[in-house]
Amino acid sequence: MGQALKLSTEMIAGVAVGGFIGWSLDRWLGTAPALMVLFLFLGGAAGIISVVRSAQRRQAEAGPLPGKDLPADDDE
Amino acid sequence: MDETHGAEQAAHGADGGLPNPMHQFEIERLIPLKLFGIDASFTNSALFMVIAAFLITVFTIVAMRRRALVPSRLQSVAEMSYEFVHNMVRDNVGTDGMKYFPFVFTLFMFVLALNMLGMVPYSFTVTSHIIVTFALAAFIFIAVTVIGFVKHGPKFLKFFVPDGVPFVMLPLLVVIEVISYLTRPLSLSVRLFANMMAGHTMLKVFGAFVVALGVLGGWAALGFMVAFTGLEILVAFLQAYVFAILTCIYLNDALHMHH
Repeated sequence: MGQALKLSTEMIAGVAVGGFIGWSLDRWLGTAPALMVLFLFLGGAAGIISVVRSAQRRQAEAGPLPGKDLPADDDE
Repeated sequence: MDETHGAEQAAHGADGGLPNPMHQFEIERLIPLKLFGIDASFTNSALFMVIAAFLITVFTIVAMRRRALVPSRLQSVAEMSYEFVHNMVRDNVGTDGMKYFPFVFTLFMFVLALNMLGMVPYSFTVTSHIIVTFALAAFIFIAVTVIGFVKHGPKFLKFFVPDGVPFVMLPLLVVIEVISYLTRPLSLSVRLFANMMAGHTMLKVFGAFVVALGVLGGWAALGFMVAFTGLEILVAFLQAYVFAILTCIYLNDALHMHH
């Protein structure tokens, strides 16, 4: 449950921050609601990126999947 | 006078109803104080922060007073927590990140102490207020960004430019990357706050069930309460750990610039 909550907060945070940025820009530039709509979508994309990244990180921590235990490419 | 009566009713349930589970999160001004028109009262929240800071200081000083080669129980707890955070910073940030160890250690101990203090009956859970967790997260976020710019200079902006992307796609992706970076303080703070608040509300609700169901029916709810209290202690530790490890991951991003 903790993991699911973590991933869903990241998704929601993406949309919320995107929406907030769009809303603030709208207020500043007087273009309501165009930018808010645009940034809601961009925020959703950002949320998906964060979710994928944290899932990848999680998977890296858990170790390779069975049958996929070839040496991972290490870009250190 | 009326106000205290209202609070009393909220705590114990008006008209014999169930007590309000959100009452435990109310902020009370213990020492009212106005500074330059800002309400800077010493609240129960502030009191528990002071208690937490005091307990951590006393704990580390007392535990490490004798510095025995064969540690006492208290000393090994202090050493274990040190080593725990030490390994966390080394594994997630690397050896060049060790200079941030004191910060991560303080943060971990502070959040852990606040979460654990919240588990004491009649106490106040400071971390169940989003403004507290957001202030911590915003501080981390700003600090990490400053560290990134100090270490890499303007090159830190390349952090927002993904590799191997067609040139036409860049403006879109950079904006998305920046938004994704800006979500960090929000998701970091919401996670800690939501876990603590949900857990404590659940505890209160089921505690009320025990009383409401009485001697005959309350045992099942009581059993659940016992198990859930154990789980909440685990969550209190886990959320402090998650908070600290995400700080390490963000520090690592700023120092080594890869996702």
